[in-house]
Amino acid sequence: LTAEAVDGSRVSVAIVDDDAAVRVALRRLCEAVGLTATAYASGGEFIESLQTGAAGPDCLVLDIQMAGMTGLEVHRHLADRGVRLPTVVITGDDAPEIRSRYVAAGVSEYLRKPVGGTELRAAVERAIGKLDGDSRGTGGGAS
Amino acid sequence: LLIFGAVSLLGNEFGTLLRYPEIGAALFYPPYAILTATLVLSPRRDWPSYILVSVFTHVLPHVAQWPLSWVLLADVANLARALVATVMLRWLFGDRPRLDGIRELMLFIGSAVLIAPAVGATIGAANVVLHGGSATYWRPWSAWFMSNALTGLTMLPMFLIAIPAGAASLRRARRRRVAEALLLALALACTVVVLMHTTSPWAPALPLYAPLPALIWAALRFGVGGASLALTAVAVAAVWSVDRGGLFVLSSPVDSVLALQLFVLLTTIPVLCIAAVASARYGAVRLYRALLASLQDHVAILDARGIVLEINNSWRLTADTADVQRFHRVGPGDDYLAACRAAAERGDADAARALAGIQSVLGRGQRRFEMEYDREPGGGREWWVMSVEALERLEGGAVVTRANVSARRRAHLEIEEQRRELSHLARVAVLGQLSGALAHELSQPLTSILANAEAAQHLLRRQPADLHDLSEILQDILTEDRRAGQVVHRLRALLKRGEMRLQRVDAGELVREVLELARGELITRRVTAATSVDRDLPAVLADRVQLQQVLLNLILNASEAMSATAPAERTLLLTVRAASLRDVQVSVRDCGTGIPPALIERLFEPFVTTKPEGLGLGLSISKTIVSAHGGRLWAENNPDRGATVHCLLPSAPTETIATPADEGAHEPASAVGD
Repeated sequence: LTAEAVDGSRVSVAIVDDDAAVRVALRRLCEAVGLTATAYASGGEFIESLQTGAAGPDCLVLDIQMAGMTGLEVHRHLADRGVRLPTVVITGDDAPEIRSRYVAAGVSEYLRKPVGGTELRAAVERAIGKLDGDSRGTGGGAS
Repeated sequence: LLIFGAVSLLGNEFGTLLRYPEIGAALFYPPYAILTATLVLSPRRDWPSYILVSVFTHVLPHVAQWPLSWVLLADVANLARALVATVMLRWLFGDRPRLDGIRELMLFIGSAVLIAPAVGATIGAANVVLHGGSATYWRPWSAWFMSNALTGLTMLPMFLIAIPAGAASLRRARRRRVAEALLLALALACTVVVLMHTTSPWAPALPLYAPLPALIWAALRFGVGGASLALTAVAVAAVWSVDRGGLFVLSSPVDSVLALQLFVLLTTIPVLCIAAVASARYGAVRLYRALLASLQDHVAILDARGIVLEINNSWRLTADTADVQRFHRVGPGDDYLAACRAAAERGDADAARALAGIQSVLGRGQRRFEMEYDREPGGGREWWVMSVEALERLEGGAVVTRANVSARRRAHLEIEEQRRELSHLARVAVLGQLSGALAHELSQPLTSILANAEAAQHLLRRQPADLHDLSEILQDILTEDRRAGQVVHRLRALLKRGEMRLQRVDAGELVREVLELARGELITRRVTAATSVDRDLPAVLADRVQLQQVLLNLILNASEAMSATAPAERTLLLTVRAASLRDVQVSVRDCGTGIPPALIERLFEPFVTTKPEGLGLGLSISKTIVSAHGGRLWAENNPDRGATVHCLLPSAPTETIATPADEGAHEPASAVGD
């Protein structure tokens, strides 16, 4: 699997982080490593963007610790509505119990801040690949 | 018992020497004093035998001349009197009476000279009337009473005090004291001779005042016991002199007896008073000597000019050693002020302070002066306290005391150090609670910096590089780096261990700083924080870090208390307002479960907690810190829900710190610090 999506266009990621500086920097990083990135200041803002009918991203890069909806809540919200989006979570507080909570919720890609470009891109690709594989294996569709 | 019997017999014989002819009552009745003194001084189980002997010795000489019923009833009167006196004296003074003081003397007179003889006289007079000895009750009553009252007054103290004390001190008495006693006895003998051979034409009243010098000598130097011994000798001589014709022989025997009794009474009471006061004074002097000698503290007594009159042993032991500063090395006769002045002129600041203090007390400018000083004599640091207390007497003077308070001071310093240590540990513990949030706080700028730097590298590889973008990225890196630095700086201040440092602190600003520290934790706990800070608050005088610790503790407690509250309702309100002209009050209000009423009073005690895993130290340490600031920390449950903890802090003197106009600005936690 490469950075090119199945249809040949660039992989698009949505970045959700409530910290403006981090948001901007992550977007720059994604673009630098060849991803198309859109940034959102909160989980709510991102979910809203999905409802406008525009094409969703290939992968979600989600900060865990946010005011308002936390990363886990965003993930659950999407899962509850049947949206199965490859997700990479990033966190500054790499506590084992938090990691296991995300693993239990079905998030496999878990990165610790600060995060490098190569690392991020690899995680995005793995997340997309894994979900694709899962979809093929289980027939996809979550509720 | 044998001695007692013999003495009793003699006493009875003496009693018959002079009596009221028609009534049969003795003028003096020594058996009363002998029996009472013996009973008071001996254990209760021996009383029956003494009483038996005393009855026997009374019956023996009288039964030949008087009817048996008379003798026996008289015995009842005698016994009743002695027992009443014994019981009262024992109750008042125990089994070793001392009459060192006017109060004690008056109690003695009341019991053994007035009440007991009155009881005896009541029975004895009835006996006389029953046996037809007198037509009236009053005459025999007064005769019985007077004779026993006089006996109690003169002889009883002798038997009670002089004889036991004399026997005890005879072995260890100093030679000079024995010589004085012998000299006094000689003087008394002369007096007695004068008393018995009077009727000198040039000084007819000589017997009345001749005994006084010897009696007062005895009273001043030998106490109540000695005076009593001398008084007894004089009284016996006076009784004898009546037999031989003298001053007290008047036209009728009754008048003679009355004159004699009045003489003895009016001599005895003042002499005993002098003796009581003198022995009280001796007691006081001995007490103060013992007190001075027993003290570890160094004591010196100065006269009004600052000359040392007296020093105690502790002072003496250090007077010539290096244990004390040079200006303290003075002894009796030395001029303390001069010693201080000399040291002060050589530049000794302690000596200058001591000089000023002593002068002000000696000049009656102040009653008491105290100074603390420390010195380093080589064996480690020492702390001393010097007190100067004015001597409230006509000629003035002062008492100077020095005490080594190093042990107390060191313990105090140790407690201070422990308190600091504990408070630091508590702070570290609070930061431990925050570790997750702080890791997030620090990783945000690091993430941003790394991402920006990598993006910049990629940009540089492109040709041509977009300089505008690059400069923007670099600017962001700079900003974020500073942000990380600030987080580290805040942490370092909290983790540092240090002495309490008071400075002017704007409480509103402090609240904002603490909220920034706690921001990550509040986000994790889904708590929205709002602040309300009054305009124009006075500054408080506080240790910034310690106060941060207190507020952080309160905020974290409040957040934890809301863990059962629905996330949307987890609101924390921090209010900073002027509580009065002088105080600033910071209140932390939560919407949690509130404090159980049983705990609300004890919440700030150590090891009291409402949290399942709480240790119960945070609030008690917070209270200690606030108290050290002169403030107050207390909690109350809100009328609707949750609890509020209030922290009242006294404002710093003068000028206010202008705060930004943010009164009523309710900002969510996420916006704080942006």
